[in-house]
Amino acid sequence: MRSTGVARWLIAVPMAILALATIYPMLYTLNIALKTRYDYVIDRGGLTTTFAFQNFVDAWTQANMGRYYLNSILVTVVSVLLILLIASMAGFALSHLTFRGSRAAFLLILAAMMIPFQVIMVPFIKTLSDFSMINTYPGLIIAYVSQFLPFTIYFMTAYFARIPKEITEAARVDGNNIYGVFGRIMLPLGRPALLSMGILNALFCWNDILISLLVMQSPSQRTLMVGVSALRGQYPDNVPTYLSGVLLVVLPLIVVYLIFQRQITAGVTAGATKG
Amino acid sequence: MTALLGSRSDVPTDVRPGTTPVPRRRRRRFTVESTAPLLLVFPAIAILLVFRVYPLILGVNFSFTGDQELNGVFIGLDNYVTLMNDVRFHAAARNVIVVLLFVPIEVFVAGILATFIFLKVPGHRFYRSVYFLPVVLSPIIIGAIFNIVLAANGPLNELNRAVGLPIVDWLGQSNSALPSVLGVHIWATFGMALVIFLAGFSTVDQELLDAARIDGATLPQTIWYVVIPELSQTIQFVFVTTTIGMLTGLFGLLYTMTAGGPGAASYLPEFLIWKLNGEAKPALASAASVVLLLLILVIGLLQIRVLRRATKEV
Repeated sequence: MRSTGVARWLIAVPMAILALATIYPMLYTLNIALKTRYDYVIDRGGLTTTFAFQNFVDAWTQANMGRYYLNSILVTVVSVLLILLIASMAGFALSHLTFRGSRAAFLLILAAMMIPFQVIMVPFIKTLSDFSMINTYPGLIIAYVSQFLPFTIYFMTAYFARIPKEITEAARVDGNNIYGVFGRIMLPLGRPALLSMGILNALFCWNDILISLLVMQSPSQRTLMVGVSALRGQYPDNVPTYLSGVLLVVLPLIVVYLIFQRQITAGVTAGATKG
Repeated sequence: MTALLGSRSDVPTDVRPGTTPVPRRRRRRFTVESTAPLLLVFPAIAILLVFRVYPLILGVNFSFTGDQELNGVFIGLDNYVTLMNDVRFHAAARNVIVVLLFVPIEVFVAGILATFIFLKVPGHRFYRSVYFLPVVLSPIIIGAIFNIVLAANGPLNELNRAVGLPIVDWLGQSNSALPSVLGVHIWATFGMALVIFLAGFSTVDQELLDAARIDGATLPQTIWYVVIPELSQTIQFVFVTTTIGMLTGLFGLLYTMTAGGPGAASYLPEFLIWKLNGEAKPALASAASVVLLLLILVIGLLQIRVLRRATKEV
């Protein structure tokens, strides 16, 4: 399967063009965000000559972005910690312990994974309001936990299943009960999987719009994505400031991506192959 | 909650006896060891029953009741009849077919690119990182960026003008709105399909590839006779996840880019459900949800089959 050097370079050309097409929209956005409003009106497409950082300051201070950031961080962190804890508990039980109904439990989890949120959004919101959880942080958190739990359980179950029984049995002989095995053996060994699922779920929660729109209806409780989608209406004739706001949201995502690329990839490819 | 747990153990969960071995089952003796598995799975099962399964049943029930003054009143299949005559429902149903036509495009693009990266074209690591980057961005951000890029006076149209193509109001015309959104969706997510393909490639038996080379197979022959059969599970997986992603992952883009418009030209089932719910017609929205559920079920059963095979062989 070794193609000749020339052919490889020929293939690399369209791939480079495609890579450019992938980052170009972001560079274009950055270019505009750095323009003053005046420059933008005069010369939309040209390379910016100004570095109007004031746009970023304006977007941050006028559009309540600080508050939205805090809301998103709070909800994301709590949701992810809960998802990881609950999913690793269930994953451990399903992969290493035998109990009545384990098969049914696993099927329930797979079935829940199949049901997209869109299908249950109306009755889900009604259920939340029955618990008086609309417009509350716990409401949004339980929405995220129930949404992203099934896949995480599936992932943790598959990961824990690869840990040999001899290891847990040795720990039992050393005098650990089941909770000891879970806390002292499984959680430390599961760290790569937990990191992977933690990052992936954090991205899901952080990037969500539909659930957040439905659960958080009061402006002060908006999450970042809902806040950003409202920016457009706030700056209908000031595109540079609008796009500065968008970039303020992109930045943490790119940082996370650059640091955790491998873990994210491991998360999304789960189930794709036999091993 | 305790009632739920109690009823759970009463239900005969083992449909096929013997599939779940229950060693050392002691009746009415609760020790740390015997209760631990149930306590460990309990939070997960309780959350899924209360916030997934119960709403699902509730929703199916809703779909047979009326809205507003008929709230809670059983009206049989009236909601479904209303939907069948609804212009926006027609648009959403038609658009599902358009969406399904775009699935093979994404799978094909990702598959080809993954092959090139697997063959280690110069700079393959860099390409892989760049292609995957948009996957981590929120649809809201992507929609915001492409609203500017696809605008009538945006850079894409400037490019069109430069090479002599007509100026298109991509998101403002009913025949181009949905394809544009789908194009952006593919731009944003093909990196995901690509890394899944690469994970599959890494499991292809290197000896088979070497054997093919020794036998003098050309690259297309190698791909067709060796790589594709070896990757069949990965390809299935990519098809299923891409389809589900397109049918349930377009809300953010529709919300920011077209709002379902112009008219109902870019409505998809998920957007229709959200819209009907916002119009204080939750029962009608529930009927639309049931229709979407049936559609997803077909695809989902396929997904379950693929995933279970994956865990079983771990």
